[in-house]
Amino acid sequence: MQKFRSKLKSFLFTFDFLIVFLTFNLLLLTFQKVFAVDMGSPRFQIKGGNVNSAAGDKSSDGYRLSDTIGQLAAGEFSSTGYVVKAGFQYFHSIIPFRFSISNINVVLDPNPIVPNSPSTANTVLTVYFGGAGQYQVTAIEEEPFKTLSGNAIPDTTCDGGVETCNETQAKTWSSSTAYGFGYNMAGEDIPTDFSSGTQYRPFPDRSDVESPAVIMSSLNVGKDRQATLTFKANISPIQPAGSYQTVINFVATPSF
Amino acid sequence: MTNTFTFLLVFLIFNFLLLTSSVNAQQVSLSISPPLLELIIKPGKSLMVAYRVENFGDPVILTVKLHNFEPKDNLGNIRIKDEFSGPIRFDLDNADQELERPFFLKTGASQQLLLRIRAPEGAPEGDYYYTLLAEAAPPNSKEGVASTRGRASIGSNILITVTDSGSIEVKPKVVLFDLLTKLNLFERKLRVFDSFDKVPLIFIVENKGKNMIKPEGKVTLSGNFGEQIKYDVIPKNILSESQRLIEATPSANINCSGQTCLTPTSLILSGFFIGFYRLSTQLTFGENSPTIFSATNFFAFPFKLTLAVIFVLIVTIIIVKRFSPDEDD
Repeated sequence: MQKFRSKLKSFLFTFDFLIVFLTFNLLLLTFQKVFAVDMGSPRFQIKGGNVNSAAGDKSSDGYRLSDTIGQLAAGEFSSTGYVVKAGFQYFHSIIPFRFSISNINVVLDPNPIVPNSPSTANTVLTVYFGGAGQYQVTAIEEEPFKTLSGNAIPDTTCDGGVETCNETQAKTWSSSTAYGFGYNMAGEDIPTDFSSGTQYRPFPDRSDVESPAVIMSSLNVGKDRQATLTFKANISPIQPAGSYQTVINFVATPSF
Repeated sequence: MTNTFTFLLVFLIFNFLLLTSSVNAQQVSLSISPPLLELIIKPGKSLMVAYRVENFGDPVILTVKLHNFEPKDNLGNIRIKDEFSGPIRFDLDNADQELERPFFLKTGASQQLLLRIRAPEGAPEGDYYYTLLAEAAPPNSKEGVASTRGRASIGSNILITVTDSGSIEVKPKVVLFDLLTKLNLFERKLRVFDSFDKVPLIFIVENKGKNMIKPEGKVTLSGNFGEQIKYDVIPKNILSESQRLIEATPSANINCSGQTCLTPTSLILSGFFIGFYRLSTQLTFGENSPTIFSATNFFAFPFKLTLAVIFVLIVTIIIVKRFSPDEDD
């Protein structure tokens, strides 16, 4: 009888622990961060560039009007001395112009960079634009890829010869003895010269008074447009050691 | 005792693992609204426009600034200039915000920017084009590693026409209204297509005036038997002293694939065409503005199908002749 009691006690002890353990873990797993938003509750969320409940084309014998309502300063109105129109009148977008970069602090891999063995890293660019979204994304490096002491990895010229690339024309960069720093694009709305994963361009350099390069653009209808930018650096055995860094300036603008 | 200790150990280790948060890359995600502002204003007047910048990414430090821009090509792309010029004056009416002064925006937050636009007395008549940029500061550099840091900016374009009388200079000209074809005969372009081919149209209009204009109208396809299809022109702005590729809708440009889509086109006609066709356009630029016209023709025939039929016929005749019994036998 005592043996049975002891076994029962042990079982109940284990059972209690399991209950506490599982309940606690369940609570931990269901705990998530909640961010506040302008409109919503724990059960719903409303997001919108404008409220299109009455937007659209209206006409009578006397007038024809196209508008969107709800958006700040949207629609067409006139007052003494000025007329203002906000937004694209030829499409009624409920998605505001939005630009995302998945990672803005990209570490090249492998790190440190090994001579004759390229290091690369990716970041994903996304543009959200409802309706007939015409847009462009440009990129320019603020200064060359260099250390604080001024040792620079030059901008790539790709494999050289017929495969010499520049800021507006991507070419093949696959040779392990072709040194420099550049980028490749893959995905939607990218320049047509990036035809494969081995096509690279150097970034335009603002310190050299160069113009930003268009890396994404679209004339056609699209909603979520996504492209992957791959950074690549390859150094020679005589490249000084150091912490190489640069800032790339990405600018997304809609058209006019 | 041993059991309790083991349970406690497992319990604490497991909970510790659950409590460790995941590490994500530093992400930036910004939106701006409205994306475009068109303003016709008299010298000496001002107005306030409310913009909204929203942060969907990690917390950022934003700076709002204005730059001039100019058209880069005829596709609607722009070149933002480094400097600010022109007579228009911009300020923020927000009590706690100033242009070019950084401010913090946490994840999921938005900031309303009350932009005051003023055309001073005596501002010269003409067009002035600006981009309102919300610029996120790049992250701190990582020591001891090779890395690139991104500075992300999102822009909204502002098109301003300064006019004292309210009149706008409208001087449009059709630069190109032609079909994209590779067929040439004695250096003359042959507008001949296979019936099953897509027919791409390129339509470029130049604005020779000092104010921006917006085309309205249609592209009309007329067939042999009087049948017509009309395509609406998308009313996009043509900035002063620049050209723009005019687009029409609905077009096969949507979900377009293949070689035809590599060149920007105004309209891609698809379907089965046979015989002579005429493409024409008529554009206006608002009330009391000049109307411009242009037209072109093309011929379509099922060349590939005809060749295939002829080939099949020849092969059939050869086979029939070869295997038919000899008359001498």
